[in-house]
Amino acid sequence: MIKLYDYVLSVNCYKQRLMMSILDVEYETVPVDFFPGWEHKGEEFRKINPLGHIPVIDDDGYILWDAHAILVYLAAKYDPSGRWYPTGDPGLLGETASWMLFAEGTTNTASAARLCVNLGYDFDLEACQAGAHRLFRVLDEHLWFREREGREWVCSGAHPTIADIALFPDVVLSEEGGISRLDYPALRRWTDRVKRIPGFEGMPGIFPASRGVEV
Amino acid sequence: MTADPFTMWHPVASEHDVPYRHVHHGQLLGRELAVWRADDDFVNVWENRCLHRGLRLSIGSNDGTELRCQYHGWRYANRSAGCTYIPAHPADAPARTICNRTFPSVERYGLIWSGESPVGEPPTVDVLEAGTPFGLRNLPVHASAELAVRHLQAHRFLPSGRLGAESAAMSVEWADEYAVALTATTDTDDGSASTAVFFVQPVDSGRSVIRAVLAETPAASEQMAVLRHHATELNGLVARIEAEAALLPAPEPMVPVLQQVPLHLAEVPEAPSGRQAALRVQVRRKWETAAGVAAFELAPIEGVLPTFQPGAHIDVHLPNGLVRQYSITNGPGETSYYRLGVKLEPDSTGGSVCLHETVREGDVLAISEPRNNFPLRRDSMRTILLAGGIGITPLLAMAQSLDRMSLAFELHCFAQSAEHTAFSDVLDGLGESVVRHLGLPPDETVAEIRRLVATPDEFTHVYVCGPGPMLEAARREAAEAGWPDDHVHFEYFKNTTEIDDSSTFEVALARSALTVTVPSGSTILEVLRESGVPLPSSCEQGACGTCVATVLEGEPDHQDVYLNDSDHEAGDRIMTCVSRALSDRLVLDL
Repeated sequence: MIKLYDYVLSVNCYKQRLMMSILDVEYETVPVDFFPGWEHKGEEFRKINPLGHIPVIDDDGYILWDAHAILVYLAAKYDPSGRWYPTGDPGLLGETASWMLFAEGTTNTASAARLCVNLGYDFDLEACQAGAHRLFRVLDEHLWFREREGREWVCSGAHPTIADIALFPDVVLSEEGGISRLDYPALRRWTDRVKRIPGFEGMPGIFPASRGVEV
Repeated sequence: MTADPFTMWHPVASEHDVPYRHVHHGQLLGRELAVWRADDDFVNVWENRCLHRGLRLSIGSNDGTELRCQYHGWRYANRSAGCTYIPAHPADAPARTICNRTFPSVERYGLIWSGESPVGEPPTVDVLEAGTPFGLRNLPVHASAELAVRHLQAHRFLPSGRLGAESAAMSVEWADEYAVALTATTDTDDGSASTAVFFVQPVDSGRSVIRAVLAETPAASEQMAVLRHHATELNGLVARIEAEAALLPAPEPMVPVLQQVPLHLAEVPEAPSGRQAALRVQVRRKWETAAGVAAFELAPIEGVLPTFQPGAHIDVHLPNGLVRQYSITNGPGETSYYRLGVKLEPDSTGGSVCLHETVREGDVLAISEPRNNFPLRRDSMRTILLAGGIGITPLLAMAQSLDRMSLAFELHCFAQSAEHTAFSDVLDGLGESVVRHLGLPPDETVAEIRRLVATPDEFTHVYVCGPGPMLEAARREAAEAGWPDDHVHFEYFKNTTEIDDSSTFEVALARSALTVTVPSGSTILEVLRESGVPLPSSCEQGACGTCVATVLEGEPDHQDVYLNDSDHEAGDRIMTCVSRALSDRLVLDL
């Protein structure tokens, strides 16, 4: 069974829990005392991941770290339909890779701001917030046009991809980092859609959406 | 002199901002708003603040009929914003006065218009009235509306269908403090032109949203290109506006005035005396919903109807002077009317005959505000609803609420035949939770009820409404099966007990420091009213529970059917319209 080295309030760990919940993959968590114990920076944990960060998965001895890399692995291995990580469609795969890199940006701004506010990290909070707003503006416009094209997800396919999973937690918890989403209505509507993906699970601070309209 | 923005209509959202089952987070003149569309297409514009603990309602969930706050699960109704359920008090009906602040809303030109205290109607724009309005992407701007409007007058775009042109001649059709209309014309031979109206929503002193509407909808094949073109041009404009705004001193943010709790809520209200007919409604629709059952839709003459909860009833004041109680059958979110079902009683004393024969569509009726003496708990694992004949009416409202919240329930409808089953169309929509028991003779009805309540279960509640013999059977069978009294809830149509009003006794009112004598032939309610102590009442026959009083001392002589056996035994409450005293003296908490 997959072991996830996990901290319940970490967005990057949540991305893995969300993906595995949606893919209905069985896993167990190994709680890491991220705060206030800084266990992931300790000598013992660095034997698992020398970079000293979480999440890390151990899939029957196969060790992998880096949140977005783990999403690639999980979807490629455990989604037989091949839709979450669309290796069979080069155009869609390219888009997925592009938005995964964009998600590195939202993690380093929106989620970094959250770490400053919630856990007292010594980042430049204002710069993180301004950076998040710049990216959210782009993403909001992108999603507005997606809606007009009759599409629901970040990439152009009819099915969500790991890019939606990578972006969602950074966006939906932004207010914890002092980043209001008042100016991004299309982004807010997309978070409702992600919450309605079958198998969705939340984390502290993320509320479920109401049932959508049955089609 | 400039107009007062607080009395004007402003756009607060675009149509595509409010899809079903979503809550839009908006802001106008410094005040945050929660904007949501109910499944019946009414767009609610509310203060973004749950009146319970102040949490933002924009993170709440819109289930199509009600908005649920994420903090403590309080539910608020479409239109009225009245609270319909408080999970921490599952057995109680929330007071009707628990209500979030609402603002008016009108949909026009693909925009949702609202305002603090807007006067008249939202603006009409000739070019949009005459055209086929087409909404462009709205853009937030970190600048005042004034600055945005100034820059918009120099905005440039190309006419739809001429997006390849080098440039277009621009003219300002008109402009005011919060809108600019521009026409772009290409100087090519055919003089192709497009007009767009740019409305500016004043979000706060230093923030706005530009909501642009093209007067003519482009051909379907061109729409995406037109939207992209305008988005690009507007992004450029926004960058220029924000560059200028960044050089100006940042204005002080506007501070919205939170409404104080209105006086009528803050003060202990005066108890209404007697049967109040506070509302006037119009019979919007009358139809035969089953053999001998007339259904009525009562719509407000103006404004919004007060909030109701499942189980609630209203008093209907009939043209012939009689007052009758009828349950509201509506599901949650059906807030633009009250729907009643009235059975023609063969031995009618004038109530049902009047409604069936005299009252017609278009007539105006006086009704009371809804009152709920039959509240529905929503914290049980399962709910059993037993409806006998027209007793379906309150249970229909309950079933629709439970269905909407995906709570497990069974609605058993006992009726003479399919033709005698009222509101079949609504029942059909509830699927397999509805079980019809048609044409059963009395003994088989009792046997069926016995089977249905055979297994008491602490996680199940039972609600029963129907004719007297059925209620008596249900009461007896449930008690014999071992159900605790507080898990079985009854609503009687009427009290068929023969009232013995021969006793004479003294009633002392502990709070009013008043002692009165109730002679034989008079009720407590009547004597108190004559003595200037007002008490609300409704059915005045011991069935509805409205005129309840708390007993501090003395032994009540219960003659009502509202309280259950345990309540009667406890003796701490009394229905003042029919019940009397076995002791010489009663002390009431009045």
